[in-house]
Amino acid sequence: MDVNHGLGEFEQLVLLALVRLGAEAYGVAIRDEIEREAGRDVTVGAVYTTLLRLENKGLVASRLGDPTPQRGGRRKKYYRPLAAGKRELAASVNALRRMTRGLTPGLELP
Amino acid sequence: MWIIARRVPEPDREYLIGDLLEAYDERLTSLGAARARAWFWREALHLLAGPWPDAIPTQTDLRAEAPMDTILQSIRIATRSLSRAPALSLLVILTMSLGIGASTSVYSVARAALFAPPPYPASDRLTLVWERDADGSESNVGYPTFEDLSRERIFASTAAMSYWTPTLSDGSETTRLAGQRVTWRFFDVLGVTPMLGRGFTAEEDARGANRVVVLGYGLWRARFGADSGIVGRDVMVNGVAFRVAGVLPPTFESLLAPGTEIWAPLGYDVSLPWACRTCRHLRMVARLAPDVSVSAAGGALDQAFARLKERFPGEYASPGTALVPVHEFVVRETRPALLALLAAVGVVALIACFNVANLLLGRALRREGEFAVRVALGASRVRLGMLLVSEGLLLAIASAAIGSLLAVIGVDVVTRLAPPGVPRLDRVAIDANALAFAIGLAIATGLAASLLPAVALLRGGLQGSIRAGARSLTGSGRHRLRGALVAGEVALAVVLVSGASLLLGSMTRLLAVDAGFATGDRVTMELDLSGPRFADSGAVAQAWQQALEAVRAVPGVREAALASQVPLGGNVDMYGLHLEDRAGANPAEDPYALRYAVTPRYLAAMDVPLRAGRALEESDRAGSPPVALLNEEAAERLFPGGNALGRRLRVGGSEGSSRTVVGIVGNTLHRGLDSQQELQVYVPSAQWGEEGGMVLVVHTSVPAATTIPSLRRALQGAIPGIAISKTGTMDRLMALSTADRRFALALFAGFAVVALVLAAAGLFGVLSATVVERTREIGVRTALGAPRGRILGMVVRQGMVLAGAGLVIGLFATWGSTKVIATLLFGVGASDPVVLGIVIITLGAVALLASALPAWKAARVDPVVALRDS
Repeated sequence: MDVNHGLGEFEQLVLLALVRLGAEAYGVAIRDEIEREAGRDVTVGAVYTTLLRLENKGLVASRLGDPTPQRGGRRKKYYRPLAAGKRELAASVNALRRMTRGLTPGLELP
Repeated sequence: MWIIARRVPEPDREYLIGDLLEAYDERLTSLGAARARAWFWREALHLLAGPWPDAIPTQTDLRAEAPMDTILQSIRIATRSLSRAPALSLLVILTMSLGIGASTSVYSVARAALFAPPPYPASDRLTLVWERDADGSESNVGYPTFEDLSRERIFASTAAMSYWTPTLSDGSETTRLAGQRVTWRFFDVLGVTPMLGRGFTAEEDARGANRVVVLGYGLWRARFGADSGIVGRDVMVNGVAFRVAGVLPPTFESLLAPGTEIWAPLGYDVSLPWACRTCRHLRMVARLAPDVSVSAAGGALDQAFARLKERFPGEYASPGTALVPVHEFVVRETRPALLALLAAVGVVALIACFNVANLLLGRALRREGEFAVRVALGASRVRLGMLLVSEGLLLAIASAAIGSLLAVIGVDVVTRLAPPGVPRLDRVAIDANALAFAIGLAIATGLAASLLPAVALLRGGLQGSIRAGARSLTGSGRHRLRGALVAGEVALAVVLVSGASLLLGSMTRLLAVDAGFATGDRVTMELDLSGPRFADSGAVAQAWQQALEAVRAVPGVREAALASQVPLGGNVDMYGLHLEDRAGANPAEDPYALRYAVTPRYLAAMDVPLRAGRALEESDRAGSPPVALLNEEAAERLFPGGNALGRRLRVGGSEGSSRTVVGIVGNTLHRGLDSQQELQVYVPSAQWGEEGGMVLVVHTSVPAATTIPSLRRALQGAIPGIAISKTGTMDRLMALSTADRRFALALFAGFAVVALVLAAAGLFGVLSATVVERTREIGVRTALGAPRGRILGMVVRQGMVLAGAGLVIGLFATWGSTKVIATLLFGVGASDPVVLGIVIITLGAVALLASALPAWKAARVDPVVALRDS
């Protein structure tokens, strides 16, 4: 769990969701994206726990949006990956890519 | 929503709640209200359970912490690892709480009733003074003896006491009270100072001057509305005005005469006929002089008594004296029962401890892999041990909390079940001391139960298990310790089950004893006539006659009679029997008999059979020739050879009238089913001199308890001012007389059930664990053609071997420990075949039950699955 070495699997999923969602990356949207694409039913709380940790590590940044008429006028908190976050994510995903290169979809030697 | 507000710091709340509401609305339309709500709750609970990141210290925070770091961290890791095994943690906490709750309740009762010193200043200097009879039993003293012994230098102060049951009237109501007549220094001896007014003076302790009373706090509040102006006023006691001298403080407890609410001076002097040396009806309490030890006092007292015997050779039959410290006197009746219960509850606590150790050990064995990894990552063994011990202590603290709550209930149950003789039950409480006991016991249990697995684990090679991750290799040896723990549990359970069945056997045998009289459909109540209206015996006799007539007119009454005392009633009136043709040199050495002054129909009302001669009749009245009936025991002992009828004797003192024995009746057990048969003599109450207090016995044709209200009304209507007390059925008196045993039996049975459940749970746990570990082996066996029956038998046999070992050890332990409950046993011994049978069958059944499920699971093992998994 050292700050500088590797991302946890769920951290990867969250970061990937940020990248995919772009400007629309906030709590519920991130959660729904992970459920839709990765098939993982997670809680909003778990998503925020991870986001806050990533923020502490300096991998993502957040800003509060403007109030909207929906959700009782409550503002949304938007997240975006920082450069360090993108670097970490790329390193993790590339490592996976390299490790899975040449394997079948069932992750076996062809 | 409030959950989120509680858990999440202010700046994060807005967007989080917004997100949740948005998602909730979405689900409301897509999934429906119920599922949306369920989803929301899951979210909320997750937030509640999981730490919000800001609440978790970061790495830097941790580094800044003091050396407490490792301990705190151990606790944190322990909490986390326990919450990962909630079922096991709950089981451990439940087991420990049960043990702690039971122990703490019994401990609290025993502490108040047995170990707490009497609540008097320097109570270790207080002692009762008895004459000692030839058979070693303690006996009361006569007034002159009290006066002579009081002059001895070994005593700082002394007092004599006699029981007193006066009536108290205020306008409409007359009630009977428990009281004491005492010599004037009584309150000084005990060291109690009245809260209002004063105690007694020497002048008041004289015949004619003794119409003063001291009131107990409870009576003062209940009957006089806590009126602080009561001192100096008159109250009507026994129909006569008594002046109130003082009121005792609420802290005063009357341990020498439990329940006493009113005191008056004794008012004896040696010229009175009942103040003789052989009139041994006073109890003596003394405070030892400051420089005298209890043992030295005993010797000096015996010498003083020897001098008295020399001076009055015809007056003392007793060989010596006995000094009994007040504390000893108060506790000795109930001590055997309470000590037995303490021992029993200790065994329960021990079983709980074994069980917890067993559970924790099982868990530790399952976690070998985890520990190996921790060691590999650099955790020291000490650190691992600390982790296990912190887990144990955390569980202990939780158990102490729940156990204390259980103890509050337990104390309530125990005090409710407790027999009436247990002293100071009203002072039993779960106080700081009891809490300290609960916490201490919890920590000791937690430490003991977690040190065992810690040591076992750290000594055994961790390297081996990490090398292979080798779960199925280590085989049966590692469960030897768990097996030993289970056998120990079974052994301890056997001790309790044996104890319970011994008590049950005693109870059954006791209830089969023939008391010699009928208890069903019988009502008894104590009646009192007091006051100037009943000053002469003619008025008393007439009132008793009216009372009987009124009672007989009540519907449902078949027979009614009056008696000076009845069996199980708590009174023991004993009189010397002096045979006319065999006068002893020393009348004090003549035999004593229970004396019953009764109306003629008494024997019929109690269903006491007539064996020879005739019963009492209406014609046996004041002027006619005095007669007496003997019970078979007395007839046999006094007149061996069966020629008692027609012989003459005197009952009580040489001045009593000479009576002819006209009948012999069956024996009755006066002091309870477990008492020895005593000599008994019945005389017509009309020929004895009327007494102002009698016990009414009514035989009813309808359920006895239902007649009580109409009996009361009839009596109060016939004789205004009659005091009625101790109303109840004979069945209830009988139940009370066995209350000690019932109490011990109820608690023992409860403990035995708990012990059995715990032992069964332990057995079940070990068997299940071995079945899981041997899945592969079982799979191989099945694959090779072993019938399921044999697999089943294999597991059951393992269970039976463990239970059998425990049974044998337990039976030996039972033989060794029966003396703890010896005083509670009646007619059975530890080797009683019925008791042994009950124990073996119960244990066998429980062990079989505990092995059944694991065995069934083993037999279900699918060889294909088992072999593929390995």
